[in-house]
Amino acid sequence: MKKQLLILSAAGALLAIQACELPPVETSQLGFRGVGMEHVANPSTLQDSMESVAARIPQLAGSPDTDMVPAPAGTWENVQYLGHLSEAEFNRTMLAMTAWVAQETGQGCNYCHVIEDDGTVNFVSDDIYTKVVSRDMIRMTQDLNANYPEHVGETGVNCWTCHMGEVLPNNYWFYAADGERDLERYYVNEGARQTERYLLDQEAIRVISDQALTGDTENTSSIQDTEYAYWVMIQMSKDLGVNCTYCHTTARFSDWDESPPQRVTALRGVGMVRHANAEYMLPLQGEWPDNRLGPMGDGPKIQCATCHNGAFQPQYGAEASHATEWPAFQILGPPHDGAGTGGDDGSDDDEGEGN
Amino acid sequence: MAMLTFERKYRTRGGTLLGGDLFDFWIGPFYVGFFGVTTIFFALLGTALCVYGAAMGEGLAGQTWNLWQISIAPPPLEYGLGLAPMMEGGLWQAITVCAIGAFVSWALRQAEIARKLGMGYHVPVAFGVAILAYVTLVVVRPLLLGAWGHGFPYGIISHLDWVSNVGYQYLHFHYNPAHMIAVSFFFTTTFALGLHGSLILSVTNPPKGESIKTSEHENTYFRDTIGYSIGAIGIHRLGLFLALNAGIWSAICIVISGPFWTRGWPEWWAWWLNLPIWS
Repeated sequence: MKKQLLILSAAGALLAIQACELPPVETSQLGFRGVGMEHVANPSTLQDSMESVAARIPQLAGSPDTDMVPAPAGTWENVQYLGHLSEAEFNRTMLAMTAWVAQETGQGCNYCHVIEDDGTVNFVSDDIYTKVVSRDMIRMTQDLNANYPEHVGETGVNCWTCHMGEVLPNNYWFYAADGERDLERYYVNEGARQTERYLLDQEAIRVISDQALTGDTENTSSIQDTEYAYWVMIQMSKDLGVNCTYCHTTARFSDWDESPPQRVTALRGVGMVRHANAEYMLPLQGEWPDNRLGPMGDGPKIQCATCHNGAFQPQYGAEASHATEWPAFQILGPPHDGAGTGGDDGSDDDEGEGN
Repeated sequence: MAMLTFERKYRTRGGTLLGGDLFDFWIGPFYVGFFGVTTIFFALLGTALCVYGAAMGEGLAGQTWNLWQISIAPPPLEYGLGLAPMMEGGLWQAITVCAIGAFVSWALRQAEIARKLGMGYHVPVAFGVAILAYVTLVVVRPLLLGAWGHGFPYGIISHLDWVSNVGYQYLHFHYNPAHMIAVSFFFTTTFALGLHGSLILSVTNPPKGESIKTSEHENTYFRDTIGYSIGAIGIHRLGLFLALNAGIWSAICIVISGPFWTRGWPEWWAWWLNLPIWS
């Protein structure tokens, strides 16, 4: 009996130890000294994910065309958002996009462009849906870099930031299928309902009263509302790999005056994701083939983790994820004057960040 | 003051931990002893430093005499395990030395008294567990994390802010397994004390005209209500076991948070989901 107990407790202790991490850890201070406003991370776990990111950085030849003169009219047909590029820069960008997005398919240009029977490539045609989606995504990337500097910073983002060499970025989401409970498909279960409320319906998560003992009339938030708020916050914490104190003073979560500045960056990010879903992802609904649709027949949508992948900065701020070297994505590019195109421009956001 | 019968035995000279008879005397009913003097020294110095810090307004709240808001905060993390300037956490370091000095001195004084009485060391050992919990918070965990700044601030509200923020660093501290055990021990301790205290008050306060009840009554009461009585000595052993475990598991639950686990505590339970039985 005693021996069995000993074995059992030894096994339990082993289990507890193997479930833990080992020091040393890295910490950084986020607020006044001593009040526990910190970020704590274990470099050994972090190292693994950083190395796996580094291993996926594509080797791209060439450097940006510094004294860029836009390509003369008629160089291309049906180029709607990259009219500010020179021919060299345009080709460099196209090659890079192939590596960033279509590397794994091995199809090269053909992933988006039609190859005619005689073996030539028809760059004008929009017959393959991926070309239409890519164009929309180029516009989205330009939009995010030009209009959301409070979130994407000086560096901006490019296709690789989210795609990382794959056709589908990680952590996109669909509408929740009714009654579906599947832990493996984390983003497809009822959590998606909460994500939908937050990122598509743009519903606020303000459930905390600003004074004590307000009673029923002052704060009408239901327990479901608080669960919704909790879901959204925990989801964001998971998406960014950060804890609550990264953005909040926990005694007064809603108080902006006491919050670390990261909270503003995050808020701008939420606005950015909502904008990207509304203006770019949802309008693509008609373009997706069946194998890209979710259980409710809807196309993929994005959230924080789509780019962040569990890191406080997408791809831990790797230079390959920045737009600094890529003039294509730095401004809302104008259409190229392709003489003779009946090019269906259809662009509704030509506010053209002057540059 | 009249001497109780056992005090004659208690007031035996000698049996000091350091040997010799320095301060080996009584002032009124109080034993002084070498460690009594060091206790007074550290306690007074530490308190004076706290008052000094309050006067200088070195904490988050700035200069205030509001008892709730006075705070002596540990150094910024950048000072690591080194000494910090006085108004940037150096005061906290000095006060921490004083606090540990006073607590340990008090435990050693208890040990000396235990030797004079010829009894076991369970009182200083039990108090030692409380000291261990404090030292874990302000020394062991900061050492493991690599900066004194991980200690908690000495202030009524500010230390609660620290508890809240550190708790949320691990998303949901109630999922910390050692915290679960510690909380269970704390509640069980108060529960056992409640049962025991009410029993003793009952048997020693009989209705008018009845005599005080004996242990037979005590045992019968619990045998009738819950089918078992642990007995007069047993309840104190149980109480000690429960209380010490509450302190020990508290120390464990905070020392594993950070040094041995950096993610949310709910996530730690993935080992359960990943058991080969169902995964």
